[in-house]
Amino acid sequence: MLDLKDAPPASAAPLGAHGDPLKADPRAFAAAVNAWVPHDIVLKDAWFPLAHSFAVTTKPVRRAIYSQPYFLWREGGAAIAAEFHPAEGVRQSKSAFSDAAGRYPVLEKYGYVWCWFGNPANAAPEHLPSIPYLPEEGGLPKHMLGTVRFDCTAPLSLENLIDLTHADFLHADVVGDEKMDKETVEVFYDSESITMVRTCVNKSVAPIMKIFGGVKVDVQQVRQVIRIYLRSHAAIAYGRFSPGDNVQLFHPCVPETRDRTRLDYAMNTSNVRKTNPFRYMMPKASYKVSRQDSSMTSPQSPRYMQPEKRKDLHSPLDEAGQKYRVLMMALAQRQSKGDFAYLDNVSTDCSDLIGYQKA
Amino acid sequence: MADEQIRTLEPWWAVARSEEVTSAKPINVDIRDQPIVLWRDAAGIVRALEDRCPHRRAPLSLGCVLANGMIQCGYHGWTYDGETGRLKDIPNLKSGVKFPAHYRATPFAVAESGGFVRVCLDANAAAPSSANERLPLAGTENVTIEHEHYIAALFDDPALVIAIRGLRFTPYLMAELDKHDGRLVMERACQWASPHWPSPFSSDFPVTLRISTDPLTGESDLLLRDDASRPLLAATIAPVPAARGVTQVRWRAKLATQRSGLMATLLGMGAPFKVLNAMDGPALRVLRPSASIHAAALRQAIIAESAHSSAA
Repeated sequence: MLDLKDAPPASAAPLGAHGDPLKADPRAFAAAVNAWVPHDIVLKDAWFPLAHSFAVTTKPVRRAIYSQPYFLWREGGAAIAAEFHPAEGVRQSKSAFSDAAGRYPVLEKYGYVWCWFGNPANAAPEHLPSIPYLPEEGGLPKHMLGTVRFDCTAPLSLENLIDLTHADFLHADVVGDEKMDKETVEVFYDSESITMVRTCVNKSVAPIMKIFGGVKVDVQQVRQVIRIYLRSHAAIAYGRFSPGDNVQLFHPCVPETRDRTRLDYAMNTSNVRKTNPFRYMMPKASYKVSRQDSSMTSPQSPRYMQPEKRKDLHSPLDEAGQKYRVLMMALAQRQSKGDFAYLDNVSTDCSDLIGYQKA
Repeated sequence: MADEQIRTLEPWWAVARSEEVTSAKPINVDIRDQPIVLWRDAAGIVRALEDRCPHRRAPLSLGCVLANGMIQCGYHGWTYDGETGRLKDIPNLKSGVKFPAHYRATPFAVAESGGFVRVCLDANAAAPSSANERLPLAGTENVTIEHEHYIAALFDDPALVIAIRGLRFTPYLMAELDKHDGRLVMERACQWASPHWPSPFSSDFPVTLRISTDPLTGESDLLLRDDASRPLLAATIAPVPAARGVTQVRWRAKLATQRSGLMATLLGMGAPFKVLNAMDGPALRVLRPSASIHAAALRQAIIAESAHSSAA
């Protein structure tokens, strides 16, 4: 059973104790990148989207965060989250993550039931991440929602996502290959989030856009944004394609255990014309893409369970992934010292940062 | 001392049959907990690297073989030369950058002969003596037993490990396990599965099976002969300790074209030889060690002799 006092491990070098961990000595940064043991990182005091709203009814369903049980159901229409099944009552072995009645802080927003993982006293709505293109009241049709799983630790899933150069090889049959004239990667971050912006000039058109989206040309201009909320292990993936339709994906990686990840995704394609098959097919691509991702991250996962003497090799294209690693470890280090405060606000509207223009 | 010497000698393991390794798709094998990727380069030469991309630790065997014979990781496209393991390309970089020498996957030594692909974890190992002819019958099995127990079972009761059409192995040896020319050698009396006196009451046996085993790898040459010492069947079985205690067994065999006698003739009907894909657990548990009892001491003696002759 996890406890609030469980200390995340310290990495090789102190990170950001007195400032920006990414502006530390380059050697300390490199050492931190290669001290990456994502299995050992358990961040607390965060909201996790444990279920699509439609999945929570009067009949309890069981979910988990790092094996900590979460039972979800509704009473009078309101979502309830508890450590124990309502038929079971509260046991003496109750953790410090729930209140005296065994209940967790819970919120409902963006079409999800969000539960707090950590000290209940620290739960606050302003720690819930901003997702500009999901309606706050929810209500997306079910064909835009789905559940897939990754057979790996959640941070590896997110490191995979924030490094989109992998898509040109692993998902070439869905989103297109590496052929393009130019590619740039920019990275923005604070203590609670990291945002990667990838711009591709004249990139080969994604097959799914050709087949279902009606894109007739051979190349398109692409701007892809991945923004990860570190504590919640939740990402937004926003892509602008010209010609083509924008892709608006919410990609929350819930660490059900240290080695398995649950993804209740939402692909909002309501921006696509109702007569365009892309509106209905793009959300379904997750079923194929997630298996492709898992084919790589699953064998990776056990290779990142223990500290490793051999260093990973890196290329300039890995900037976002490297910074993600270091930011996660800096946050873990800070929490290991008892500091669970949010130094940056995650609920501030990030539309401008990701380049999203509200209709 | 001998144990230490055994450990320091990196043997050549027959990790694949030649036909299993192509330039169409890399394959994964392992020697204990060491994963290895194998493929053929543009010249048809088998290459072996650690099955782990040094970039993000993904298995290279999930990638592809390019037209130039290099292997490309399926995750980010990092591309490696098979001979040296050196990184040659990161496609998304779109530049002709040369990479530092340490940007490479770990290469292993490879040799191919007799229809087997052998790998030595020491990349600088001297090539093994190349073998003999390529036996036409072949197969691969994965058996859930530790490698050393697999070899011991072969010595003590071959019926737990292999099957030869119409043949029964007796508990009686024509020659007990001993060392000959650096190998462990024994010969077992066999009977045809036709009506006859049970083996404890038989004065003579019509067939013998000679087993000659490499002391380090357990790779064994089998020779089935009739009572006139004419060969009936030759086989090589190559057990390799794989991950999670599984023993991967590659084998090749050839039936002699001239065989006299009804049962020897019937060997040619259907499959004359096979390696069993599962161990009979209850039978194995109660199998009393016999020939294998001396195997460890003999193995150590061979290693010691080998070390002595090398020093001389």
